[in-house]
Amino acid sequence: MTARFKDRVAAALADPVLKLAIDRTTGNAERKRAAAVADFPQFGAARARGQAIKDHVIAHLDHYLEMFERNATARGTQVHWAADDAEARAIVTNICLAANARRVTRSKSMLGEEIGLPHALADAGIERVETDLAEHIIQLAGEHPSHIIWPAMHRTREQVAELFKTAHQPPPAAEDPATMVQSARRVLREKFLSADVGISGANFLIADTGATCTVTNEGNAELTTTPPRIHIVTAGIEKLVPSTAHAFALLRLLVRSATGGEMTQYTTFHAGPRRTGDADGPEEMHIVLVDNGRTKMLANEFRDMLRCIRCGACMNHCVVYRQIGGHAYGGTYPGPMGSVLTPVLDGLAISRDLPNACTMNGRCAEVCPVGIPLPTLLRAWRRRSWREGLEPAPVRAGIGLWAQFARRPRLYRLATRLGLRVLRLFGRSGWISRLPLARGWTDYRDMPRPAAKSFMDQYRAEQRARK
Amino acid sequence: MTARDRILSAIRATLGPGKPANEIAIEAALLLEPVDTARPALVAPALPDAFAQKAAALGTTIDRVSGMAGVPQAAARYLKAHGLPPRLAMQPTPELSALDWAGITPSPQIAPDEPAALGLALWGIAESGSLVIHSGPGNPILMSFLPLHHIVVLREATLLPYLEDYAARLSPQQVPRNAILITGPSGTTDIEGSYVRGAHGPGFLHVILVSGAG
Repeated sequence: MTARFKDRVAAALADPVLKLAIDRTTGNAERKRAAAVADFPQFGAARARGQAIKDHVIAHLDHYLEMFERNATARGTQVHWAADDAEARAIVTNICLAANARRVTRSKSMLGEEIGLPHALADAGIERVETDLAEHIIQLAGEHPSHIIWPAMHRTREQVAELFKTAHQPPPAAEDPATMVQSARRVLREKFLSADVGISGANFLIADTGATCTVTNEGNAELTTTPPRIHIVTAGIEKLVPSTAHAFALLRLLVRSATGGEMTQYTTFHAGPRRTGDADGPEEMHIVLVDNGRTKMLANEFRDMLRCIRCGACMNHCVVYRQIGGHAYGGTYPGPMGSVLTPVLDGLAISRDLPNACTMNGRCAEVCPVGIPLPTLLRAWRRRSWREGLEPAPVRAGIGLWAQFARRPRLYRLATRLGLRVLRLFGRSGWISRLPLARGWTDYRDMPRPAAKSFMDQYRAEQRARK
Repeated sequence: MTARDRILSAIRATLGPGKPANEIAIEAALLLEPVDTARPALVAPALPDAFAQKAAALGTTIDRVSGMAGVPQAAARYLKAHGLPPRLAMQPTPELSALDWAGITPSPQIAPDEPAALGLALWGIAESGSLVIHSGPGNPILMSFLPLHHIVVLREATLLPYLEDYAARLSPQQVPRNAILITGPSGTTDIEGSYVRGAHGPGFLHVILVSGAG
């Protein structure tokens, strides 16, 4: 991956296959979500409730963490705490190494990606088998997820077929999704039953039962967590809910917002290891509670982001994401929610472009099922970047120059009039398709020719005409 | 200082002294009231109809029979209709093994590539067409995930209207090791968002919905 955001964006925009792949998945997701919400007239009330539940938990986070720990421990789960990604990686790999694990199956977890678990397992010499179909695809391709719900959405069926032809023995007989899914089912089935450790994430941590709750559609999660001797869950500390009923209230929002379904095919609660007489299940269950920047967000202006339930609706509805896809963002989490989280996780100095890659059209906040004011949070990062002097000199100089005009209304209007004339010269056909110094804009889209007179001039003319 | 201490003290430094636990519990309970304003209405007044409509919409097939005695015949019908041999992996639970399985060979063992397995749901949820299963001595979890065809017996008497009604039946200190709500056959939309059934779990989910007390 190239280092600069601008270069990654340019590469993404130049890739017509990527655009096709993004359109197919996000277009579908947008339509299905709209239908699911239209079919649920109580959505508004459910959203207000979901937001209130998350705010309540965040306001009493220490209480609920301790309650969860107490109840999970009572069910026989071993609870671990990790202040950052390195601690979390070390805890997981040490559990695997202590168990002499050779093969680990993983059920998709964005927190696992966030803490760099795939890489850590490889470094420890442990075979990692991704079992979610999309994660299987990107493992074969050696890539990172480009979407938090559809990690392989940047790949077309033809590209997936190419990967499977090399990796699956015998290779799938056809390129249609059904045949390829069957092929993955066959290849992964034997891995499930021979793994030593299964690793999953959690959508919710239920404080009063000590259970984790995971939602999946493929059935890979159960096949990942049931046969191995050890089951490890990694989860962010913001995933807590008071009870199972609270989890259900949030589930109604999560699934509709993510895939447009009402429930995922499998909603799974895990509370501890195999019990006396149980027919199957792991002998040990571990849960790693991960902070990794979350207590910092609690203390600063990004606290609202802790409500996020990782549905992906914000990226499906983002005009920028739908042009550039997930990889261009360069962080674990893409799209609007990723542009808020990446500066927390990777530092603002290397991610200051992300909060700027936003049109402020507000669609993300409109569809967010827990009412996160994403544009406000992105603006907060822009302010901070300015305050900390991270904006490059040309940007600072440009804005300084603009401020000189903006503070002098007469001069500003004069400049606007001149600017309009010049712009109209470039847009004789009605559209401006080339503009010196602004190729970053015009290389990818045309700008409509501006009106002959500025808003202020038109307004004044109208006021005069009325007199 | 351990990671646990660091995390909890960072939280407390921000949030300040907490409220008493009973006050937090009352606040949490009130968040769910009134319950009806924030959940969907059932799609039919009678629970079996609502359940059947929801389940069918997800690709689950349904056979409604009267009395548990009709279950083996319904299972045999299903196997025959799908060209499967008269063999089943069967959840080792007394309610099922007590039935007369003449003509079908049930086995308590399940093979990794089992064609068909039959189990009993603890509850059904009408709101979403979901089936509830709990792990335990009488229920291996893999029985619901390894087969290609998963047949589930659901008694109408165990139908619950809403997800909350299921939550209310769980005692927090006695939750099962593994509880699963199954809502339709296994599926994926991971390749170009196009829906394919039978990703890793069962590609076919068939519910035998049993009315009457028997």
